[in-house]
Amino acid sequence: MAVKTAIKVSNLTHTVTANTGDLTILNGINIDIKEGESVAIVGASGSGKSTLLGLLAGLDVNTSGDITLYDQAFSSLDEEQRALMRGQYVGFIFQSFHLLPSLQAVENVMLPAELKGDKDARKKAEALLEKVGLAHRLTHYPNQLSGGEQQRVAIARAFASNPKILFADEPTGNLDEGNGKVIIEQLFELNKSQGTTLVMVTHDNELAQKCDRQLVMSAGQLVEKI
Amino acid sequence: MNFALRLLLRDLRSGDILTLIIALIISVGTVTSIGLFIDRLQLSFEQESASLLAADRLIRSDDEIPQTWHDKATALSLQQAENTSFSTMIFAGDNLQLSQLSAVTDSYPLKGSYLVDDTLFGIGQPFSQPPKKGEVWLSSRLASLLHVNIGDKVEVGETTLTIAKYLVRDPGSSSSAFAIAPRAVMNMADLASTQVIIPGSRVRYSLLLAGKRDDLDDYEAWVTPQLNDGQRWRTPTQKGERIGDTIGKAESFLLLSGTLAVILSGIAMALASARFVKRHLMQVAILKTLGATPKSLIKLFFIQFIVLFIIGSAIGLAVGWGVQGIISSLLAGLMSASLPEPSISRLWLGVATGLISMVAFCLPLMQRLIKISPMSVLQPSLKLEQNTLFIYSIGFIGMYGLMCLYTKGFLLPSIMMLAILGIGILVTIIGYLVFKLGRSLTSGATSGWQIGLASLYRRLVPNLFQLLVFTLIIMLGLILVGVKTSLLSDWQKQLPDDAPNHYLFNVQADQIDQINTATDQLKILRSDWFPMVRGRVVSVNGTSVQTLYPEDKGEPEIYERELNLTWSASLGKGNDLVSGDFAANGLSIEQNVAKEANLNMGDILTINIGGNTVTLPITSIRTVDWGSMQPNFYLILPKSALQDSPANFVSSVFISADSAQAFYKAMSEFPTVSILNVGDLLKQIQTIIGQLSQAIQLVLLCILSAGALVLLASVRSTLEERLEEGALLRVLGARKALVRQALFVEFGALGLFSGFIAAAGAEASLYGLQVFVFKAQAVWHPLLWILGPLIGVCIISAIGLFASRTVLKVPPMHLLRDF
Repeated sequence: MAVKTAIKVSNLTHTVTANTGDLTILNGINIDIKEGESVAIVGASGSGKSTLLGLLAGLDVNTSGDITLYDQAFSSLDEEQRALMRGQYVGFIFQSFHLLPSLQAVENVMLPAELKGDKDARKKAEALLEKVGLAHRLTHYPNQLSGGEQQRVAIARAFASNPKILFADEPTGNLDEGNGKVIIEQLFELNKSQGTTLVMVTHDNELAQKCDRQLVMSAGQLVEKI
Repeated sequence: MNFALRLLLRDLRSGDILTLIIALIISVGTVTSIGLFIDRLQLSFEQESASLLAADRLIRSDDEIPQTWHDKATALSLQQAENTSFSTMIFAGDNLQLSQLSAVTDSYPLKGSYLVDDTLFGIGQPFSQPPKKGEVWLSSRLASLLHVNIGDKVEVGETTLTIAKYLVRDPGSSSSAFAIAPRAVMNMADLASTQVIIPGSRVRYSLLLAGKRDDLDDYEAWVTPQLNDGQRWRTPTQKGERIGDTIGKAESFLLLSGTLAVILSGIAMALASARFVKRHLMQVAILKTLGATPKSLIKLFFIQFIVLFIIGSAIGLAVGWGVQGIISSLLAGLMSASLPEPSISRLWLGVATGLISMVAFCLPLMQRLIKISPMSVLQPSLKLEQNTLFIYSIGFIGMYGLMCLYTKGFLLPSIMMLAILGIGILVTIIGYLVFKLGRSLTSGATSGWQIGLASLYRRLVPNLFQLLVFTLIIMLGLILVGVKTSLLSDWQKQLPDDAPNHYLFNVQADQIDQINTATDQLKILRSDWFPMVRGRVVSVNGTSVQTLYPEDKGEPEIYERELNLTWSASLGKGNDLVSGDFAANGLSIEQNVAKEANLNMGDILTINIGGNTVTLPITSIRTVDWGSMQPNFYLILPKSALQDSPANFVSSVFISADSAQAFYKAMSEFPTVSILNVGDLLKQIQTIIGQLSQAIQLVLLCILSAGALVLLASVRSTLEERLEEGALLRVLGARKALVRQALFVEFGALGLFSGFIAAAGAEASLYGLQVFVFKAQAVWHPLLWILGPLIGVCIISAIGLFASRTVLKVPPMHLLRDF
């Protein structure tokens, strides 16, 4: 059976209006990402990696070109529908974790399932936190957790909605080497066990090399596909 | 729904939402308690003043009251009474005396009571029934003039009545205070048989009404268009009545206070909402990345805000109700009469405040929350630019609307809003310059002074906002202090303990010495004697008053009626010369009257005195302390202008309860002299002023407490930054004392600047209030210039240090981990 295309990007261009006039952030990008694949987007700071990630995840609307997630074109959707798509297909891990400070670890993990109206949200969240080794930290608030622990909560949250595609923005960027390794292991392990497609922005070569493919960005263009 | 509530509960635990609820409770609670308390005081004032009017409302007419007016009152279930008042001769054997006689129906008075006595010149006991048919009550003076006692008979017209009591005070006397003939009262049922009222008689008919406020308002709306020139609708608070003036001032003040509370509440809500949104922007962006749709977020926040509104308002209403109850019970011992229960319908004010505050302050911010791009989780610099001006404009429009609703007008809210805007601009400019100066004078971080002053400039925008908030609050406090002290001392000054309480009129020149001897013997304090001649101003600078004011509309009081004129060699007690020369051969005019008629030094008035005209220039302008209860005059003429006109003399005396009986007996030797007793009226005004004084103190306390809470909230709004900075300083090796000093300098400087600007603003506002609202004379308030900066420094540094005590208490490591 042929492998499905999870993400397809054709002729993607993105410009923003700045004080000095229009600024092209991304220019003529074409990408095909298959279901279950892990892809690292690498490149220098300001090369457009995070913007590309945001557009792929439907967090923003591109200026021209097409982005489709499982054959569904983002450009034809409004914000309401894009949010529904995100809820259905997408999970996120951020460099600065972005846990809600007012919620306990388990409550943070419950959020995506709760947004979908899932009644078993708590049970699933507890199971996920156990998987990332935080069964003893369920009721802790983010500020009571270390950076590594917070990122593990974020991983658990990302997988809570059983996403088909996981987007990660510098997931180890704020962590020391030891914690970074643990996070990467857990991330790839969950990725494999759940058959998730992984799209990751990173500066970390070692991490990038663990992925099936690397896309190198420079000045808003895809210069190399490894 | 459940998700929204669960999220709300979780937020509640972390304290974010709690701040908003507390702000809402403070808003609703403060406004409710003040609203209800003011309502109770207003009801109390109305009841007190109704007893002076003898009714809730009164129609005074030169003609008989039409039957349809009675029918309408009956239809509206209003209580009715009638009072027909006229001058007539009363006969007792060979003696006769002109007297002011009232015939009243059995239901008179509807409010208040008569004071009557069984002993001649007694001080009187309250009595709520009028004389029965066939009976008459005579004032002690009238009885002595007629040489009759209780049980004797007197003739009124064609009928004979039996004296049942001595009349001490008529409950409606204030409104007919200048009826100077001795008074008597009889039952309306006997009026027809007297046959004294014939066509052409000068009779004053009064229809008295009492009932529910709404019904009275309906009646007023119905009857007012039917009133002719000789008919007047009177309410206890109506202008022109002395008591009405007092209540008018009280109402203005209390409404002003209420308005201040509304502004303070608005600021508290704005601060809490801004903090809420600031802390939730990233949360919403994260929720969006997790798949929350705009619709679901709108629903989520809508549910949360409705729940917050219900919880906050319900608790706020309960707190407000409780607080006003406590205030009232604390006051119970101080007030002469217990306060009436507040009307539940006044609760809407608190609810409206809560709702409008939430809509005005939270909705625009909520919209910003919903609009935030999910992309900002990847690129935090994408966070929506805060259009603070727009958001606060909506907030202030909301507050303005509420204030208009509250004061039922636009003037006071507009003045206040303009003042706030003006102060805002002024504070921004002054603050910017001062903070910048402070920064340029300090460099380095070796002392608390340097760090503190540098912080003022570094956090320029929040500090300017805090400067404005503190300035406004201190200013409001100072205005209240100023209003309270100046107005109350004004009123109290008006009514010294030994203020004259009786006027003696119609005294002939040859009686003066005898009366002086009689009063000296009784050790009664007496003012000077003033000759009094009646005259009317007929032209100004050669132009007749009729030409100046052809339609009788907007006519200054000085042209409206015949004036009492006098001459005097020297300025009397309570008179102060403003300009000109009192001794010059011209007119001396009272300042406010001159201002109203736009008259200045040198203007020439022509006055008609008994058919002769006198033309004189204005040669001096003076102020008059009307509260002194001395005989006072708008116009004083040179003796040469009046000496040929027939004059009688007037003076005022203070009669104590002990000397009353002896005084009246002595005065019965002078039957032609008219005595006007204003002491009882003064006593009632004093009771009302007493209540008002208590009310003002309490309202002041309420508003200042709300102000302190706003201060706390505003300090908290920049707390995170202060905590971070304090932590960093301590990490870098700063001692606690240095951090404390820096905080003290920062808050102290804020307080000092706020205090000075506030004192200036308060002085300007008080000038405006005194001159334009309370129509009093403007005075300088040096106390404010000391109090303002002192309160600013003490309270703001105390609250600031209290609110940021965590900076000093918590180990720096903990603080750093929070950021």
